[in-house]
Amino acid sequence: MSGLVLENVVAGYRGRPVLHGVSLSVPARGSLTVVGPNGSGKSTLMKTVVGLVQPQKGRVLLEGEDVTRLDAPGRARRGLGHVPQEANVFRSLSVSENLKVAFEFIPARSGATFASRLEAVLALFPEIRPKLKVAAGHLSGGQRQMVAMAAALMPEPSVLALDEPSAGLSPKNAELLFAAIARIASTGVTLLMIEQNTRLGLAVAARGLVLVAGQVKAEAPATDLLSDGLMQSLYLGGH
Amino acid sequence: MGQLIFNGLVTGLLIALPALSLALVFSVLRFANYAIGSMLTVGAYLVYAFNAGLGWPLPLAALAGGAVGAGLALAIDRLVYEPLKGRGGVTLLVASIGVGIALENAVRFIAGSSTRGFAVEVARPLRLHGLRINQEQITTIATVLLALAVVWIVFRFTRLGRAMRAVADNADLAAVRGIPRRQVVCAVWVISSVLATLAGVLVGLDGNVDPQMGWNYILPVFTAAILGGIGNPMAAVAGAVVLGITEELATLVLAPHYRTMVAFAVMALLLLVRPTGLFAAQGTAK
Repeated sequence: MSGLVLENVVAGYRGRPVLHGVSLSVPARGSLTVVGPNGSGKSTLMKTVVGLVQPQKGRVLLEGEDVTRLDAPGRARRGLGHVPQEANVFRSLSVSENLKVAFEFIPARSGATFASRLEAVLALFPEIRPKLKVAAGHLSGGQRQMVAMAAALMPEPSVLALDEPSAGLSPKNAELLFAAIARIASTGVTLLMIEQNTRLGLAVAARGLVLVAGQVKAEAPATDLLSDGLMQSLYLGGH
Repeated sequence: MGQLIFNGLVTGLLIALPALSLALVFSVLRFANYAIGSMLTVGAYLVYAFNAGLGWPLPLAALAGGAVGAGLALAIDRLVYEPLKGRGGVTLLVASIGVGIALENAVRFIAGSSTRGFAVEVARPLRLHGLRINQEQITTIATVLLALAVVWIVFRFTRLGRAMRAVADNADLAAVRGIPRRQVVCAVWVISSVLATLAGVLVGLDGNVDPQMGWNYILPVFTAAILGGIGNPMAAVAGAVVLGITEELATLVLAPHYRTMVAFAVMALLLLVRPTGLFAAQGTAK
């Protein structure tokens, strides 16, 4: 069974497509990292997946169900969790309010209570437990990223979509965060990630996809992409 | 002096309700609702219709007027603001100016331009430690404090309040967290119009009910909301009280009918010196 599928998606802004027929598939409990140069359409891809941009053509399937016409709240209620790249916490709300508001508008899939979900995400991110009463706007960048991720996990999503989790983090904080992402992936959630940092991003995913100029250039096991020197130098600017 | 400060406090509380209403709409819908004055007028007339027209006691009439006013606000949102969603704050502001003019003229068309008053008993003022306190002032203080307490509790401790603050903070993120924007917007209009109606009743008790009554409050209400930091509803209340007391104290050196000028001066000064509001220094307010 597929966790998340995009079929020939054409999407963009004001009628001008940025994605030109993108197809991808992440198996349930699988993980896929999308990499590509700046301006390749990675952010538009993410917005189309979560419902902030409506595709002009093509379909979006969540666990086999067509969600193309659903808006962002509708997809969230179908089990799609999302961590945007920036502005991903409610800065004026406390950390615990951030977690609460992320939980209470989406019916919990297993009927879990708020308290039990809170314990579950705090076990994944023990660093934020002492910060529960603090306004999220007062946290450091690394802590904010963890709160955002914890909030997205509160309603037990079946698919988690992460937009550039390492953006703006120090190398040390990025390593810590990716260790947490690896833990999350092992809990059985389907993971779709967009990442600038190719090495970190591909290290935690089973498969990788290279997006260039709004088109899929390659899709392969992540380890193959990492070791493919040609792909690195052509599209990713690595060595 | 004590009397002036007390009067200023009451004036400030009177401004606080529409200022809170304005700031609430601004924080969630991202536009300055110029129709706030007309919403106040319409509210006063609706309550007047139940009170003087049907002979209901004022508290009951205020409840009924609040309910009809909320329905009207929802209808206006559906017809005017929702179709213009995403067109930017200036477009919506201009639309709200149109709504304000339409509402005021609807009032003139139906009720005429003459001045009216609520059907309430005239009561003697109280004397307390040298202060002269009117019955209307007591009503104002009690009503406003109760309304503010209710709004504060809804804001802080309920699911709806968290949703409103979340949408105000970051609408896109609220959407991906599953918060239905439409319901939040409707709730904001209901709360906003009930606050405007309450203010209309209190202004009508303090003076008269006439089609102009709301316009006279637009300037102080905007000033109070900006004073508090316009995207920050509860701080608008503090802004209103500060402005009310400033206005009253200014009568020590200025003729009373220059009070509006004080609001103007405060607003101008504020926009020059601290456009984000007096209380926006806490860092989390956006």
